[in-house]
Amino acid sequence: MMLPGRQTLLRFSLVAALALSFVMAEGFRGDNTVSAQDVQVSGPLAGAPSVMNQRLWRDMRLHVEPFFAFTIADEYSRSLIVGGELRFHFLDWLGIGGWGGYSVATLDTNLTKEIRDKGVTTNANRLDLPSRENYPEQVGRLNWWSGVELHFVPFRGKLAMFQKVFVDADIDVFVGAAFVGVEERADAVGQPAPGAVTFCEIAGNPVDTGCLESQTTRSKRTAIAPSFGIAFNAFFKEFVGIALRWRGIPFKYNTSGTDNNGDGQINSDDRLRQFNNMFSVGVIFTLPPKIKTTH
Amino acid sequence: MRFFGGIALLTAALWLTLPTAARAQMEFSLDEVDEEESKPAKKQESQGDLIEELAAGDDTVDNAPVEPAPQREEFAEEIYAVQQIYALRLKRLELAPSAAFTLNDPYLKRYGLGFAMNYWFTNVLALGVNFNWYDWGTNPLTRGTDIVPRVQDQFRLGVPINDWQFGLWANFTYVPFYGKFKVRKKIFQWDAYLIGGVGLMRTQPIPVFDPEVRTFGWETNVAFNVGAGLRIFLTRYLTFFTEFRAYMWPDKFENTRVDPGDRQDSSTWLQSGSTFVANTSIQIGLTLFLPIKFEYRLPK
Repeated sequence: MMLPGRQTLLRFSLVAALALSFVMAEGFRGDNTVSAQDVQVSGPLAGAPSVMNQRLWRDMRLHVEPFFAFTIADEYSRSLIVGGELRFHFLDWLGIGGWGGYSVATLDTNLTKEIRDKGVTTNANRLDLPSRENYPEQVGRLNWWSGVELHFVPFRGKLAMFQKVFVDADIDVFVGAAFVGVEERADAVGQPAPGAVTFCEIAGNPVDTGCLESQTTRSKRTAIAPSFGIAFNAFFKEFVGIALRWRGIPFKYNTSGTDNNGDGQINSDDRLRQFNNMFSVGVIFTLPPKIKTTH
Repeated sequence: MRFFGGIALLTAALWLTLPTAARAQMEFSLDEVDEEESKPAKKQESQGDLIEELAAGDDTVDNAPVEPAPQREEFAEEIYAVQQIYALRLKRLELAPSAAFTLNDPYLKRYGLGFAMNYWFTNVLALGVNFNWYDWGTNPLTRGTDIVPRVQDQFRLGVPINDWQFGLWANFTYVPFYGKFKVRKKIFQWDAYLIGGVGLMRTQPIPVFDPEVRTFGWETNVAFNVGAGLRIFLTRYLTFFTEFRAYMWPDKFENTRVDPGDRQDSSTWLQSGSTFVANTSIQIGLTLFLPIKFEYRLPK
């Protein structure tokens, strides 16, 4: 049965769609193709390139970019990252680069704080939550980041800020591979039986009472994952610019430090796919500082 | 008095000289150039001090002996042609249907359909309303992420969740950035805008902790929003836009505690305080500017 609110909304949507169709039809009558502004120049400039004296911000130049970044949409822990990026562009629209960063701080999410404050431990979930107070110690964290990427710059232009400041800007799309330092809860086996755990069996301690040592025992590894993203860059001087960058790095890890597949043990099978992504703000310094221009 | 006298004199001088200067700048006829070149230039003894010149009076210039002035050097005057703005927003109505996706809710996937109307009373400033509908008549828990059962099983922790019906806001929009970019032989105009406003958000707690007894209705909350967006002009009246919006409001969630002796008391069903909710979302849509055609104030 359809709800009354939904019926009303459907009616509104139908009327709006009809009105929009009418207006669009009216608009397209004179100009029946959707297109952006054509470069149609007559007179002495006919046949000239669409941009003259174009500044080549990247062509055969090295970009050095220190940045600050933070991860977004994390379930249990966020990372604040300081790092740097180095790129060399063979062409103005193509380049290759490497980047790296270190998580200078981690912030617990509200969910982690809720579990720390209100979580309940019984023998049925002791492997997942040995003690609520130490829960922030068991969640997975991402300690360092690095990668190599290929950069494409398909769009470029200029923009005006507050109708006063005019700067060159471009969009940088990149794809590559990332290497991430992952720190997770170490392997553990709940004993004597899944769902009725009173102690854990871990490396170096076959009888970890209450799994308390297991909760804070960590293991580290390097995860290799694809990376991709997009950046908006604006250049203020011949050798200085700013970059606002979004980067996605999907890979599996045990974010919550729990037995996610319910087999009574903590191990690599409990890793869940996470769409790790970050936003960064960087300052671009270009070398050589002198810029070239086209005719 | 001397100060005010100087200002009056300066004002009068500017009033007399400005029209001449303006004409000189606006006309580029050959006759005028020839006329300028044929006249000998007056001797200029001052160093640009207008007050000094005015205080000295006209006699010093008129009575001064006329000496042959050095000829001006030939120069090429640069004339900059300023292109018209591709699409004006001024005095146009903007209609914008959109789809909204919530980014930061770990428990429920939320989708909305939106519609916005803005009137541009300057070329960079608009006043308008926007509306988002989120209630699609389905059980919201079917849209729950897998983290909800995990939290319940692994930590014995219930998660109070509210459902959303719709939001309605009045907003100001300001366009501080605009520009253009080239893709092959097409030049696209774009602008980036900041938006913010106040309105209402209708929400309802989903009974999780005592669903056999508790029921809730839709409540109206005062809400605020801020955001930033990017608009790309496909034609002079049709654009594609995407925007990031943060909708914020104080919300009441279900009480996580159930009093076994007094489950029917509805005054205990909600938490005592409000929780600040910030829904960050991405909206993607099209905008249509009306009227479709417009006229520039100045000719091309």
